[in-house]
Amino acid sequence: MNRPEKSPLLEKTADFSLNFSLNGSQLYLQVPPTRRLVDILRRDLRLTGTKISCEIGRCGACMVLIDGKAFNSCLTMAYQCQGKQVTTIEGISKDGLDVIQQAFLKEGGFQCGYCTPGMIISLKAACLARVSPDFSELKEALTGNLCRCTGYGGIHRVLRRLSSDQNESGRRAVGKDRDADSSAER
Amino acid sequence: MLLDRNRNGSEKQWRVRRDGKDKVTGGHAFLTDMGFPRMLYGRVLRSHYPHAIIRSIDLSAAEKLPGVAAVLFHKDVPGLNAFGIADPNQPVFCDSLVRYEGDALAAVAAETSEIAEEALQLIKVEYDCLPVVDSPEKALSPQAPQLHPEGNILHETEYVRGEIEAVFADCAMIVETTYETPRQMHTYLETEGGVFVPEDSGSLTVYAPTQHGYKDRMQLARILAVPEEAIRIISSPAGGSFGGKDELNVQPYGALLALRCGRPVKIHYSRSESVKAGLKRHPMTVMMKTGADADGKLLAHQVDIVSDTGAYATLGGPVLNFATEHCLGPYRIPHVHIKGKAVYTNNGVSGEFRGFGGNQVIFALEGQLDRLAEKLQLDPWELRRINVREPDDPGPLGQRIVPTDGPRQVWEGIQRSPLWKKRKRSDGTTGKVPWIKAGTGVALAMHGSGLGYGIPDPGGGSLRLNENGKIEAAFGHEEFGQGLLTTIEILLQDHFHCAAEDLEIVIGDTDRVPPSGSSTASRTTNSVWQALNNVREPFLAAVYRKAAKLTGIPEIRLQTGPGGIWTTADCGGDKKNLLKRVITYKQLADQGANEPVFSTKFHYPLTPDPIIGAHYLYTSIAVIAAVEVNLLTGMVKIAGLDHCVAAGPVINPPGYLGQIEGGSVMALGFTTMENAVMQEGYYTTKNLDTYLVPTIFDVPEFQQVDAVEELISGDDFGPRGVGEIGTVAIAPAIVSAIRQATGKWLTALPVSPEQLVAADAVISSYLQPEEADRKEKGRDN
Repeated sequence: MNRPEKSPLLEKTADFSLNFSLNGSQLYLQVPPTRRLVDILRRDLRLTGTKISCEIGRCGACMVLIDGKAFNSCLTMAYQCQGKQVTTIEGISKDGLDVIQQAFLKEGGFQCGYCTPGMIISLKAACLARVSPDFSELKEALTGNLCRCTGYGGIHRVLRRLSSDQNESGRRAVGKDRDADSSAER
Repeated sequence: MLLDRNRNGSEKQWRVRRDGKDKVTGGHAFLTDMGFPRMLYGRVLRSHYPHAIIRSIDLSAAEKLPGVAAVLFHKDVPGLNAFGIADPNQPVFCDSLVRYEGDALAAVAAETSEIAEEALQLIKVEYDCLPVVDSPEKALSPQAPQLHPEGNILHETEYVRGEIEAVFADCAMIVETTYETPRQMHTYLETEGGVFVPEDSGSLTVYAPTQHGYKDRMQLARILAVPEEAIRIISSPAGGSFGGKDELNVQPYGALLALRCGRPVKIHYSRSESVKAGLKRHPMTVMMKTGADADGKLLAHQVDIVSDTGAYATLGGPVLNFATEHCLGPYRIPHVHIKGKAVYTNNGVSGEFRGFGGNQVIFALEGQLDRLAEKLQLDPWELRRINVREPDDPGPLGQRIVPTDGPRQVWEGIQRSPLWKKRKRSDGTTGKVPWIKAGTGVALAMHGSGLGYGIPDPGGGSLRLNENGKIEAAFGHEEFGQGLLTTIEILLQDHFHCAAEDLEIVIGDTDRVPPSGSSTASRTTNSVWQALNNVREPFLAAVYRKAAKLTGIPEIRLQTGPGGIWTTADCGGDKKNLLKRVITYKQLADQGANEPVFSTKFHYPLTPDPIIGAHYLYTSIAVIAAVEVNLLTGMVKIAGLDHCVAAGPVINPPGYLGQIEGGSVMALGFTTMENAVMQEGYYTTKNLDTYLVPTIFDVPEFQQVDAVEELISGDDFGPRGVGEIGTVAIAPAIVSAIRQATGKWLTALPVSPEQLVAADAVISSYLQPEEADRKEKGRDN
């Protein structure tokens, strides 16, 4: 028996003119409006710091900043970037390492490093969204980022360093008694 | 030593990873990030059915699609149309039969991945479906279709000592339980992939992550029918592996397509293709019957292991050997009978995965000890003490091993964990709300390192002063996140007192490194440590000889240091004070002929007793888990996990800590949530929306890792690897903690919240305490 025929492939969508800012430079590209941002970055522009892993927005390896907010670039299409400011991991350290990057280095917040650009982007978004985010706000920012190597031990150390560097509530988080932690609900 | 940067002993080597900066800036080029001019994109056509006869394969429509450069199938394989590290019985391309849904039928290279995808859909395959053998039970039934020429059993083990049946009759207490473990997925964030580049010379360069570059080269040469020297394997870095990239994955397809097209070809699996075609941890059903006398002395232990090895062999046999050895743990048990079967099915291929068969049987064994202790009304930790091995005892299978007191050291050490205090006093209440119950559990394990008796397990490495004036150390190993580069850097700096910048560390490139064996089996740290010990003296002698000749300063007064060779003030013994740098490494390298290469080859430490799979070096771990179980939802929160590990000296503290923390959380997933579910031979968990791995909210915020570094006097085998030991004792500790919290013994992983939800009446009493109270009073009256 043969497997069922798939529907005929959709006709190729006509390209459109994408005009957006990428890491501070203005770019004009002719791309299909539905082309995924992750493909524009990794394939068309060969900016491979943004990673690809699940392609359904569950792992966070492909996170980028769009107008300062964290987005999964695997779920973002070209037309959604029109006129926006996109920042990738390559744009984070243009003026030297960001404090978030330094914290990852000092605390061993990664092993293989594949999830790291996405983690840094998500934390950067949290730091842009509010002044001096505390430990729990930073942790909340990593809801959509998976790491398979570290068990989040090093990443928790990063969060403690970032929150304690920044404000008082962070210092409380450093000394936070794990036993005083809240309920079993998740 | 507590592994904490602020504690005594750790801070010295608490350094930024050698590959760190590139990893935080996005500059780190993973092999799947690479691109080349004129590069094509490759895709693989997977079977549409888990078990079927192939009637015909028609490639013609795909070949005609504009943009397609090549379409290959079984007739295009010049050499052996098969791969598999231990037993090459997995077809590169199936020709007449498909045995699982990940089987490959054809591969396409095209100008874009979209065209390649479209071409796959134009390949017409006609099948005759066959009954699907979707469980070992079905595979073992007499009527089952036979999946391989040798039948449905890949491998069997049996180990007997003593008189088990007679002794069971004398046991004061016997517990018999059947345990089941899930099909865990490695879930490396970087899926399998690579780029394959035909060189002008006619050779092929492979950029694809693996855990043993030379083994990939051997396997690929066999498939391509070319000499091994015509292939260069660049196998590092990888975005995680955990055993999963040890076997070939994209390599045969990329290599065949690139050579056919004469152009670079990139293949990078989508997550769903990775799920379908990639290896998993063997699901095992482990029956254990364990008997003890009234004092808790273990007398007899009967074990029956059945593993679902899936459609093909890969390392299913060695994994079963490992399980057979490790189901006895660090305990003295006089009467033993173990039987194991690795069974072929039409399920996804099971293979090598961190812990290598130990995780499954240690979960079962430690569960047995907890159950026995409860029945004998003994403290479960005391029961372990009563039965734990003596340092000079033989290994689990009776083989001679390097004497170790690790199990006793960690048995004691774990009691220093702050969680230990909770152990006795816990009566299940948390002082929060009545439906959240707390518990703690403890588990003990011993884990072999190296490949074991019967498998070649070579080590090696080389050292030279290279033309750039760097001390170059080369190993046939790979960095997939574990921190190997930093470990080598620390070892080299300990030997040569030089700066990190004076070093060039070369790994993962068969054209530039000597064979060193695999980067698996917790063997690499020990292997590189041995190699450097072997080459250090001849290297230094040559360097000093040359430096003395060039500077006129006697060799005895020279010492390697930052940037070059220094004169020293002799302070006696090994310790020397550096006075003045007299020649730089670069100046030394620039003088005269090329520096010689100092190489070493050796076999990984091996038991002298010819028992297949038996190990010689062991590490030990004790784990304490604290859980909180919500009886309304059945959800288990892991509130704490602390570890005491005995694996010899710690070389790289943050690396060691990271391996234990990360291994522990991977095992937390195995215990509480992970399962690649298959139904009738199809994966139903196709991506990370249904295959759940722990997030930052599922794990303890802090894990204490206590490393016992002291080895028994006379043990000069140095540091052992810790890549796996952190994963093996988590499940039994958590399940024991759940027992304490809820009174329920779970036997199947991952734990099922449904089993932990309280009975309706109990829930009502939680939610309407007053009403329940009234009813209670009413009854009283």
